[in-house]
Amino acid sequence: MKRVVITGTGAICAIGADVSSFYQALLAARSGITMHAFDWGSTLVARVSADIDSPFPKMRRIAYDRVTQLALLATGQALAQSGLERLSTPLHASGIYWGTGMGGAQTLEQTYRDLYVEHAERVRPMTIVAAMNNAPAAHIAIELGIQGPSHTYSSACSSSAVAIGEAYRAIRFGLVPMAIVGGAEALLTEGVVKAWQSLHTLATPDPARPETSSRPFAADRSGFVLGEGAATLILEDHDAACARGATILAEIIGYANTTDARHIAQPDMTGQAAAMSQAIAAAGLEPAHIQHVNAHGTGTKVGDLVETRAIRAVFGPRAQALAISATKALHGHLMGATGALEMVALVETLRNRVVPPTAHLAHADIECDLDYVAEGSRAMPGLEVAMTNSFGFGGNNVSLIARRYPHR
Amino acid sequence: MSSLNAIQSLLIKEFGLSEHQVEPATTLEELNIDSLATIEFMFLIEDTFKLKMPEEAVAIKTIGDIAREVDRLLDAQSQ
Repeated sequence: MKRVVITGTGAICAIGADVSSFYQALLAARSGITMHAFDWGSTLVARVSADIDSPFPKMRRIAYDRVTQLALLATGQALAQSGLERLSTPLHASGIYWGTGMGGAQTLEQTYRDLYVEHAERVRPMTIVAAMNNAPAAHIAIELGIQGPSHTYSSACSSSAVAIGEAYRAIRFGLVPMAIVGGAEALLTEGVVKAWQSLHTLATPDPARPETSSRPFAADRSGFVLGEGAATLILEDHDAACARGATILAEIIGYANTTDARHIAQPDMTGQAAAMSQAIAAAGLEPAHIQHVNAHGTGTKVGDLVETRAIRAVFGPRAQALAISATKALHGHLMGATGALEMVALVETLRNRVVPPTAHLAHADIECDLDYVAEGSRAMPGLEVAMTNSFGFGGNNVSLIARRYPHR
Repeated sequence: MSSLNAIQSLLIKEFGLSEHQVEPATTLEELNIDSLATIEFMFLIEDTFKLKMPEEAVAIKTIGDIAREVDRLLDAQSQ
């Protein structure tokens, strides 16, 4: 079995247009959540404010949805860090494993608007190829020259975590030597936002400080804030990465994916605990080895409570010793991209040995009684092993475990 | 070709091309405008000139060809 390492990361989201600024914003608890005035109304979102148009020639942009542009930008960063040249031989043999919840949501919604509101007689010829869920993966493959397997996973909030895990397995079992993995989401449209509002899962805006409206694990939490962005990681066979002299950022050592089989939207403690336990076992570890968890921690009443109980079920009394961060308080919930973005956060946390805080947790919930690093970022000089959780609607649960490289 | 200037301007604006790229003899292929982008561009032309390009394949290869076809359709409309 191969060892699987990460040799490049890229990220673009509301709190940073690159990995360094993203991680610094996490440590400084700088929120990207705002009341944004769209032409259809003002609502709480975590929106990418960086210019994502000018890096692409206009000719190419006609075939891109916003989700593809975000995916390409994050991937460009990851590739640059990995030291790989686009269209090079190692990339030809690579696979792409991508995650997105709603793909080209903006293209699709614009098309329906053109048809049903503007009564257009026809729709843009690029509609299908821009809106399809596998468009980001396809364009990344075209840009980089990836000719191996191409997978797009769509399992709501766990999509890109599944993508990372499946790529990890593919490299581990020798199916591909290298994989471009990640996720992208760009669903801040009127239709999508209003659909989420109808589900009563979104945070109530704090009138005085809207940027603090997402409050995972806090007594006054009221839901999550929809965010957009993308994150990419380059995964490689450890020995091949060493042979080409790559800088190794971290090692992935465990992955598990379970299904609740209970309810389409209600999270389930048993399924979540099973994902964590199985990932720990797959890594050949005991729960006591895990030091930090980047929680799914969306900020919903039910979700945070169930995740807290699931962590307790897996770790027992050791749960109290975990440093748990819910970074969605700052970057919002990126749905299909969130697992990859939080994996990038985990990689930076392992490299720097500084754990980001769970922001806006001023009022503790007596039922959410673990250590959520509420006081601010925390140095953990002995940090070696960390886990990230992603749980999606449909009852899909993913836990991924990464280790600092080189391992002590 | 009375529509030529407008078509050249449209190509510059919508596809981010420069003036020297959009000569009448330039083919769409030379500009890397693939089949999907060509359809996109034909839709733009229809909206701009308020006309309907024929469904059947028209021998359009160059920017000059497009301008001639647009002129022909505009003439037919005005008669």
